[in-house]
Amino acid sequence: MEEIQYLNEHLGPRYIGHFAIVVAFFAALLSMVSYFLATQYRSEVLRSRGWQRLGQLSFLAHGAAVFTVIGCIFFAMLNQYYEYQYVTAHVDGQLQQRYIFSAFWEGQEGSFLLWTFWHVILGYVLMVTARSWEKPVMAVVCSVQVIIVSMLLGVHFGFGDFLIKLGSNPMLLLRETVNAPIFQQADYVDLLRGNGLNPSLQNYWMTIHPPTLFLGFASTVVPFAYAVAGLWTGRHKEWLTPGLKWSLFSAGILGIGILMGAAWAYEALNFGGYWAWDPVENTSLVPWLMLVAGIHTNLISRATGQGIRATYLFYLFTFVLIVYSTFLTRSGVLGDTSVHAFTEMGLEAQLLFFLGFYFVLSLGLVVWRWKHIPVPEKEESTSSREFWMFIGSLTLFMSAVLITGSTSLPVYNEIRQAFDPVFDGLTLTDPEAHHNRFQIWIGIFIGLLSGVAQYLRWREKKFSKHVRWFALHTGLALVGAALLTFLTLQWIEAPTLPYKAMVFAGWFAVWANVDYLFFFVRKDPKVAGSVVSHLGFGIMLIGIMASSGNKRIISQNQFLMEGLTEDEQLARSTVRLYEGIPLGMEDYIVTYTGDTIEGMNRRYFMDYKRVNAAGEVIEEFQLDPNVLYDKGFDKIAITNPSTKHYWNRDVFTVIMGLPPEEQSVSVRQATEDSLKYRVTPLSRGEETSFRDTVAIPQRDRSIIYTYTVGLEDFSRHPSHPEYTPEPGDIGLGAKVRASRTGGIANHDTIADVAIVLREGLLYHYPAQLNDMSLRVKIDESIFEQLLVKDADLQYREFVVKPGSRFRIGGREVTFQRFISQPEVDHFQPQDGDIYVSALLESEGQTMQPVFLIRGNQPSGIRDEITEQGLYAHLLSLNPETNEATLRVASSRPTSAPTIPLAVAPRSYRTDYITLQAIEFPGISLFWFGATSMMLGLLISMVTRARARRKDFVRA
Amino acid sequence: MKKSYLLAVLLVVIAVVLLLQTGSATSEYANFAKAAESGDKVQLVGTYVKDKPTIYDPLTDPNYFSFFLEDLAGTEREVILLMGKPQDFEMSESIVLTGRMQDERFIASDIQMKCPSKYKDEEEMIKNLTES
Repeated sequence: MEEIQYLNEHLGPRYIGHFAIVVAFFAALLSMVSYFLATQYRSEVLRSRGWQRLGQLSFLAHGAAVFTVIGCIFFAMLNQYYEYQYVTAHVDGQLQQRYIFSAFWEGQEGSFLLWTFWHVILGYVLMVTARSWEKPVMAVVCSVQVIIVSMLLGVHFGFGDFLIKLGSNPMLLLRETVNAPIFQQADYVDLLRGNGLNPSLQNYWMTIHPPTLFLGFASTVVPFAYAVAGLWTGRHKEWLTPGLKWSLFSAGILGIGILMGAAWAYEALNFGGYWAWDPVENTSLVPWLMLVAGIHTNLISRATGQGIRATYLFYLFTFVLIVYSTFLTRSGVLGDTSVHAFTEMGLEAQLLFFLGFYFVLSLGLVVWRWKHIPVPEKEESTSSREFWMFIGSLTLFMSAVLITGSTSLPVYNEIRQAFDPVFDGLTLTDPEAHHNRFQIWIGIFIGLLSGVAQYLRWREKKFSKHVRWFALHTGLALVGAALLTFLTLQWIEAPTLPYKAMVFAGWFAVWANVDYLFFFVRKDPKVAGSVVSHLGFGIMLIGIMASSGNKRIISQNQFLMEGLTEDEQLARSTVRLYEGIPLGMEDYIVTYTGDTIEGMNRRYFMDYKRVNAAGEVIEEFQLDPNVLYDKGFDKIAITNPSTKHYWNRDVFTVIMGLPPEEQSVSVRQATEDSLKYRVTPLSRGEETSFRDTVAIPQRDRSIIYTYTVGLEDFSRHPSHPEYTPEPGDIGLGAKVRASRTGGIANHDTIADVAIVLREGLLYHYPAQLNDMSLRVKIDESIFEQLLVKDADLQYREFVVKPGSRFRIGGREVTFQRFISQPEVDHFQPQDGDIYVSALLESEGQTMQPVFLIRGNQPSGIRDEITEQGLYAHLLSLNPETNEATLRVASSRPTSAPTIPLAVAPRSYRTDYITLQAIEFPGISLFWFGATSMMLGLLISMVTRARARRKDFVRA
Repeated sequence: MKKSYLLAVLLVVIAVVLLLQTGSATSEYANFAKAAESGDKVQLVGTYVKDKPTIYDPLTDPNYFSFFLEDLAGTEREVILLMGKPQDFEMSESIVLTGRMQDERFIASDIQMKCPSKYKDEEEMIKNLTES
């Protein structure tokens, strides 16, 4: 086949990007090997240093190459080079610049690049700070980079019939990834448009959540690398100090990243909560739990020398679990159990290798070195702090194991189906209840431990000396917590024992940590971070109980349905609201007051009034949930909630549905086309009646309504709430009175309808009478009747002075006078218009053709006496002679005008929404507690880094 | 650290016991026949039957959505979903429902839909990309 010479392709970024990916891969490989050898030859200083130097240089080059790849993609995205597959997939012309980052990490390749980006940054930091640990640690970091960059290589190997695809290259052109006839055209580039960023991701959370989460993900490689380095070089104690700092950093950032995801779900998505035990959430929480377990054993090891093995295992598992999480979310194995997993990309085998490699490596190293890891001979006493901290770590570990186990059901199914194809697969019937049932006890236990352990001492030898102090403080804390729990339960409900215990455990942790802070912060400032974290954990427990255990669905359904269980009644959590009609929901009165459309975004305004038992309004606020339409208004892309935050509770509101006609323009058109209009010509003051039988759905009954529609008035100057006049419009408006009898209530309304011809297009301005589901419009046939075209008329020209008469078609017409700036029905002046009309009279009726100068352009507006068949234009006026040049035509008179009104009963209502409203008491306690838990980790990291620097200076 | 090891073993045992308990919280995906037999809350997979009546009228009851579902065994039954009609419901490839059988109807309190990826084939994708 002949090669096509494509036009307008921008191949620069492609060549540079491809080259940079290859460089990044081989530089990482070289760096890994160099650092590996530098570590292996560590006893031979010169040889080792040579390899180390090579490792450093190649890692610098690797980093530069990674930045180049990212730069190339951004360059192509910013310039909208749609010939690139990644650009078409994630960008379009409407994408706002501030979402360009979101578009970049929307795809798998982009998020891999984000991950490698952070590894590069962390690697640079390690090269400067890790000192004697640089060689082995960087060898590990580089090995991870080699594997991740290989996912972007996009190289295909063929072994006979066997094709191996290595990675998915983000720099490929669209024509290289799909085969379509369009690529036979040399100028296909000009025809392409982008696909754009998924509207649900056009959100500021999408800008800050992924980079934070990925920094958390990426940073877990550092404690992992230190653990590997410790095992590898056999310096089992020395790595504990730098390892601890990095794991504190990592746990803090990863935790904040996870919390941002929770906040995103709560603030901007319609989940109605912040945590749903979704597999994707779980697999990011599990490594965090493992890391926190590791931090605690790490502290123990540094203080007492105990638990080094556990610390190794926890840090190694943390990273393996990060890779497992990557595998689960990116391989497609989660399938329909998760709402936000990536789609398959053909990288399953590579991801599996990634997982297997680090799992085997970790396990192998630990087994190899197990005997070599120092263990103190003396056992810790049960009254020592390290003992209970260790128990706490094991509990966290268990929590992680439980969550991983349940989340891995799809993996289990996949494996079983491989052997047993008829196996249907197991599933958790109610994942949330399942997880909550276990995790609540873990939460209680950890809450109690994080209080008690603060009162215990490291390496306790004589507990008998300490026991009084311990008993006093613990006792006080127990009493205090009990009292606070009692007070809390006046505010929130905790119906079962575990729930009560959770509130108690939370207060116990809070009390004990505050107490501890007062006693020890002056002696040892390092405790501040620990106290902030554990205090936060306690508050978080109370916050979870308050907000999730006590969440109250305000929008409770008013329709009864028999035979449902309590849970099933709770699922029925939406209400319907009509515009302008207040609805009482629990202790709120809600009114949907209106909506606005701006671009694709439609915002609805809800007025909330909270009333007390006496019916008095206590507070008022407005919420504005919105829906975002897809391109072309053909469907709703996403609905976003709106939440009112009080210090002690939130009121959350989200739109669950719109009338089908408001969801999509094509549905609206189809419904409009399916309406059965009856057309009746009515003259002024006349009315018509008809009957309609409407079946009541699901009740096997029907109602007969009697409708009466009358024409009150009409005018050639249309008036309608949605109509704004423009020059050149030809239209007609009518005032219609409509009433309906039958059914529960009678209705009677007056409404405006209009029809307008603008630049050859017909616009209907119907009246939608929602309370009687009646739609009224003016039928198009009005134009045949009223608007006789000039081309169909025989005009004669008259030049006349005011007061003179002329005859046409057997009638005598008097030109009475000029009227300067007349106010007439058929013409609407604009600023700067110069206009004059000629008042013509015939048989007692008048008409006023208008002569108009608008922006130096003369023109005219016709007028007519329809009943006499007279039509007149004012062509010009001569100021010197005061003569008017008129063109007048006479034709068959049309009868006194009737307006053909088209009336359709059973029309669709468009003035309602369905809404879900939930009250979350004390949710700010959750956010405050969880955030302070993460900040505490970072505070610890900073105080420890400072302390070390001081030691360094002193030395 | 012998005590700790004992505790570790103990915790592992507890974890295993709890994990085994997970087994009771799980169930195989059911079909209508199995659901009717057990009468309990189950998860059920099926496909939407397009040519049978589908009722959703928010003006009457915004939490009542009725449609017909064909389960994997090929049985068709009416489903009452106790919430509004989900977005893109008609486009769903397969549907996972949580609920129970009541007489001849399946009362569902939760739904998960699997929608086909945005473009079924490359041709459609290109068509979509070239339309402005």
